[in-house]
Amino acid sequence: MSDTLITVENVSKKFCKSLKSSMVNGVKDAIYETLQLPGKNDALRKDEFWAIQDVSFEVKHGECLGIIGPNGAGKSTLLKMLNGIILPDKGKITIRGKVGALIEVGAGFHPMLTGRENVYINGAILGLSKKEIDRKFDDIVSFAELEDFIDMPVKHYSSGMYVRLGFAIAVQMEPDILILDEVLAVGDIRFRANCFNAIHGIMKKTAVILVSHSMPQISRICSGVMVLNKGIPCYCGSDVTRGIDEYHSLSATPSISLIAGSGKATIHDIQLESDGRYDSDTIAYPGSLSILLDVTVDPSVRFFGIGIAFLGPDLQPVAHCHSAFHGGQFTNTGRRMRIVVNINSLSLNPGIYSVNVGIQADKLGEILIRHINCKTIRVTGDFCGFAPVQLQGAWLTEDYLSTHRRQLAAYP
Amino acid sequence: MHSTNKLKETIYAPDSMRRLGIVRVWLVMWRELWAARELVFRLFYRDVSVRYRQSILGYVWAVLPQIVTISIFAFLASRRVFPMGETPIPYVAFALWNLSIWQLFSSCLIGSTTSLVRAGSLVTKINFPKQTLVISSIGQALFDFAIRLFPVSVVFVWYGIVPPWQALAIPLILIPMVLMALGMGFIFSIANLIIRDISNALGMVLTFGMFLAPILYPPPIREPFILVNTINPFSPLLIATQDLLSSGEILNVEPLIGATLFAFGMFFLGSYVFYVTLPRIVERA
Repeated sequence: MSDTLITVENVSKKFCKSLKSSMVNGVKDAIYETLQLPGKNDALRKDEFWAIQDVSFEVKHGECLGIIGPNGAGKSTLLKMLNGIILPDKGKITIRGKVGALIEVGAGFHPMLTGRENVYINGAILGLSKKEIDRKFDDIVSFAELEDFIDMPVKHYSSGMYVRLGFAIAVQMEPDILILDEVLAVGDIRFRANCFNAIHGIMKKTAVILVSHSMPQISRICSGVMVLNKGIPCYCGSDVTRGIDEYHSLSATPSISLIAGSGKATIHDIQLESDGRYDSDTIAYPGSLSILLDVTVDPSVRFFGIGIAFLGPDLQPVAHCHSAFHGGQFTNTGRRMRIVVNINSLSLNPGIYSVNVGIQADKLGEILIRHINCKTIRVTGDFCGFAPVQLQGAWLTEDYLSTHRRQLAAYP
Repeated sequence: MHSTNKLKETIYAPDSMRRLGIVRVWLVMWRELWAARELVFRLFYRDVSVRYRQSILGYVWAVLPQIVTISIFAFLASRRVFPMGETPIPYVAFALWNLSIWQLFSSCLIGSTTSLVRAGSLVTKINFPKQTLVISSIGQALFDFAIRLFPVSVVFVWYGIVPPWQALAIPLILIPMVLMALGMGFIFSIANLIIRDISNALGMVLTFGMFLAPILYPPPIREPFILVNTINPFSPLLIATQDLLSSGEILNVEPLIGATLFAFGMFFLGSYVFYVTLPRIVERA
């Protein structure tokens, strides 16, 4: 017995760039379908391009496939085909069981109707009978945490409330296949946590497909990942971290570097050194990193401090190294100064990071200059975790502890 | 252990629709519709309940335009502004009845034509039997018709017109009329998704089309107007309701049969075209 719920075989889909050609082709396609003639699905016509090209994968129940890729990679198109809203132009999709999909938040909600009325209508659209909705209504409302607002017209809902209600209905319909398109991003932390629990809860008997731009989300729930770029799958497999790495290398970090600040300091040069290699941007986890700075600070500033920030691919700061934190500040000589900072073990998770360097007056005073995104570093390693920092720990077993108890006790 | 053997298998491929074959398309389509009958009712209920929700007069709006129209006709008729010719029942009642029938037809047609565009992201983002959208849009027109019958009957009572018992057969004439509007609406709604001219043009054509049927004037007795009314598939149906309402006897049976056959044909063709072309059109909507 096979428990594969979704089988996608060599699926391709083309779209049209021009509205006019799209209208013409649409009429042609409609005539071909009406007359039951085989259309010209497999060749590109004028203004057309492949939005999805030769995609194949399988999802069994109990699995969660994450689909990641830059904007316009064809993720939503793929989901629409899986849901049967549009047909592929090549290939074949086999779906077994009931599909619950949340492709757009609040699609099918009528703004004038109350939350309660919308639950019934949306439930009916998703194929539930009134009895079934009656039975699940309280669960839906309590999951969405909308007890106080369920009789308010949804046009007054916040976007978070919309998502909560939409997600609650999709999950409560107990689908065999759950398709989620980037919907969880809108909810607050508490709701997202609830969603994860709900997805984990139904995953035992469900196949889940999830599109997201949040890599922590993907690495937390997905058992497999597919990376799409311009409609072409560049990675598909169960090595989620490798997939995420692939995705990061696709969405090249913004190459624009900015210089900001009051201008009372100048950074002439920034160089990186790792394990004896100069000007290398690759660091093997948990290697050392030295940053060499060549700076001039305006004589009006007597003391200054330097901060170095490491930013993840989503431009979230993940680590900071500031001189004020470890022994103070530099005294301005008024001349060009060479300053080096050594970071002994850079325990950043393998991936790509951008570096910001800033000089501040005194400890954390006026920002004299800040170089944003001045360097990009790539941390490599065999292992890739899902948090941006992988702390280095000393791992001891029980045997070790019993023989070395005295030594351990010596630690302060 | 959760068994996947009994799960329904669905295959999506470029030739999904072609492989169904012409006859099975209908079977599948109506089976889907039957399974979603509750949804049809809910969508209809939604449209009706939403329509007058943010309004003070509410359902009065369903009859108010009709009352205004009656007043205008009554005024024009009393002053003999335009010569009407002989009508089988007093002109005001005659025109009002015809207008109600015409509005039933035209609002069915407009409602179904715009149904998919009005549904917005529902069509492009959710998979469900979309024929329910078109079918339920008819509900609004039928509901309005039912409400309009009230001022119509007031006028009939006012003039002391007692329709013969044969008038009870009028719903049998209305069925092909609604199906004809639906059949056209099925095709237009699809076309309207990619070519928005359709709904704009439809409003214009219907305004003009109103004068191609004996609505504000009695059934013609001269060529070429007889010809126009024979070709226009709406006219024989309308004239049949007039006959049933006045004399109780249908005078011209052949055009009525022709129009009825046309209506059913239109309905089957429209629903078929709708179902097989929808996925191809939705991707461009």
